Amino acid sequence: MDLIVTKGITKTYNPKKIPVHALQGVDLTINEGEFTAIVGPSGSGKTTLLNIIGGLDRQTEGVLSVDGVNITDLSDNKLIDFRKNRIGFVFQSYNLIPVFTAAENIGFIMLLQKRSKKEIDTRVDNLLESVGIEEQKNKRPNQMSGGQQQRVAVARALASKPKFVLADEPTANLDSKATSDLLNIMENLNKNEGMTFVFSTHDQRVIDRAHRVVTLEDGKVVSDVYRSKN
Amino acid sequence: MVIGAIVIGIWSIIFLVGMVNGMIDSYVDNAIKNEVSHIKIHHPEFIKDKESKFYISDVINVKSGVDTISGVKAVSYKTILNAMISSSHAGRGISAIGVVPKDEVLVSGVSSRISEGNYLSDKKKNQIIISKRTAEKLKVKLRSKVVLTFQNLENEITMGAFRIVGLFETGNNIYDESVIFINQKDINKLLDFEGNGHEVAILINDLSGLEKIQKSIAKLYPDLLVRTYKEVQPELALFQSQIKMAGIIYMVIFMLALIFGIINTMMMAVLERVRELGMLMAVGMNKGKVFLMIVVETILLAMVAGPVGLALGYFTNSYFNKNGIDLFFYSEEGMKQFGMSKFIYPNVHVETYYQLVLAVSVTALLGSLYPAWKAIRLRPVEAIRGSFTSEKLKLFKKLFSLIKNKIQKNGSNSN
Repeated sequence: MDLIVTKGITKTYNPKKIPVHALQGVDLTINEGEFTAIVGPSGSGKTTLLNIIGGLDRQTEGVLSVDGVNITDLSDNKLIDFRKNRIGFVFQSYNLIPVFTAAENIGFIMLLQKRSKKEIDTRVDNLLESVGIEEQKNKRPNQMSGGQQQRVAVARALASKPKFVLADEPTANLDSKATSDLLNIMENLNKNEGMTFVFSTHDQRVIDRAHRVVTLEDGKVVSDVYRSKN
Repeated sequence: MVIGAIVIGIWSIIFLVGMVNGMIDSYVDNAIKNEVSHIKIHHPEFIKDKESKFYISDVINVKSGVDTISGVKAVSYKTILNAMISSSHAGRGISAIGVVPKDEVLVSGVSSRISEGNYLSDKKKNQIIISKRTAEKLKVKLRSKVVLTFQNLENEITMGAFRIVGLFETGNNIYDESVIFINQKDINKLLDFEGNGHEVAILINDLSGLEKIQKSIAKLYPDLLVRTYKEVQPELALFQSQIKMAGIIYMVIFMLALIFGIINTMMMAVLERVRELGMLMAVGMNKGKVFLMIVVETILLAMVAGPVGLALGYFTNSYFNKNGIDLFFYSEEGMKQFGMSKFIYPNVHVETYYQLVLAVSVTALLGSLYPAWKAIRLRPVEAIRGSFTSEKLKLFKKLFSLIKNKIQKNGSNSN
């Protein structure tokens, strides 16, 4: 089933002064259960595309449908609600709340969704187990390694039971082992739970593990390659 | 930072209000004790023209009548003359006040302000007390003789010699230089004025009953003029209202400073957490909740700081209320000229604390609005990247280039 459909997406910064065309007519369809990497050199438009798909930024032109909803027409508040319930985010710098423990960082999104405390506690424990950091449950971000923090970020992204997870350069700040562990976790979630992942990356280690690689150059899709799942 | 700003702000306001109240109390108390009392009775013409002929006949009877009114604490009567006091060195015009010492000590504070010698005695004749400053001007000291010259009821010049038995110092230089005190019996004898007087001074127990007692006296003596201290010295009421107004203005300034302090520190708190705020908005916290979060955070900080500031202010005020603040340490002459006491006793009314609780809550709320508004104006996509900072940098660069261009333009014009 089509999960994300972009048609003729363009994004131009500073349209009145010195226009910068970050995206120039991107047509892309991502299906449920895919493990897709969006790659390309710096400035090719990877992050911009991810931000637009995630509803964090709005395109200049084109149509964007996510999970069957044309999010282009959604108001700001409806878009926030849409993100809360259907999209998980993993950021390059983890962006955990420093005064929260790992469990609280994971659980607060469910608080926003007004879930019960019992449900939140159970799900937090399950997520911590699935990303392999049960023993870090009560630690704050500054007491954890970069790899552990990024695993908390993945668990947080999954907490709201989203339709898909967008990860912007998730391994950029991680060493080889942490990168490999993180990719194993995400791959298992994709394989076992059918969670859709879309990465922006230029990390070859991530590209090698992706099932589909979409290459952007100068804001255009120049190749879209499917690979066999291992 | 916010807590510190609020604590210092509240403490300053309490201390300031205490000082203002203390100054008002000191000034008014001084004036009431030494000069005006709470209520005064005169012949209606006497206040226009202080001539001896405008007197209250059978003043002792008037005193006895006032004494029977409920709420009256003490009553005294006086003979008042414009006179010339002379020593062998100098002379000067003064207001000679003839008092009944045993009554006067209950109404006036002058008897407790004797710095050298003693107060007047009911038994001894031709005694006089003058202020220390008048003594310096006349170059006289204790036990020196001075001569009082004045007009009697027939406008004939009359004089009498008096011996200085005491020097007083009320703390109000203007008043001290303008009055002397003698025994009423002595001056009435010189005036052939037995049983009469020019003024009845009354102290009451509770100021809230001032107007009621005034009306009762006026009803009892309809031919006499009965005035409260506010009418006798309108500048006292004016001083009270002006100082109170100044206090309110200071409070508003402090509150404004506090608002800007809160805005500044909460803005710092927002800017330090741009990434976190961006992330919260990205993952689904709506703008209303982000706004409320900043406002609630500020109010919680105020709730922590408020009691600390109030307690600090209360204890500081209580300490100085008991021990006083020595104002003469800074400017003895200046404070005396102004009619102030040596010590100010700060005094904060209970309602001021309630007002402050309300004012700080409102201030915290107002101070949080701008930072909260700035927080919801953040775009998650920029906030997460931390590019908010670079936007500020761009603004500085733009400003810098504008200044640079201006300087270059000015330079080329001058060439």
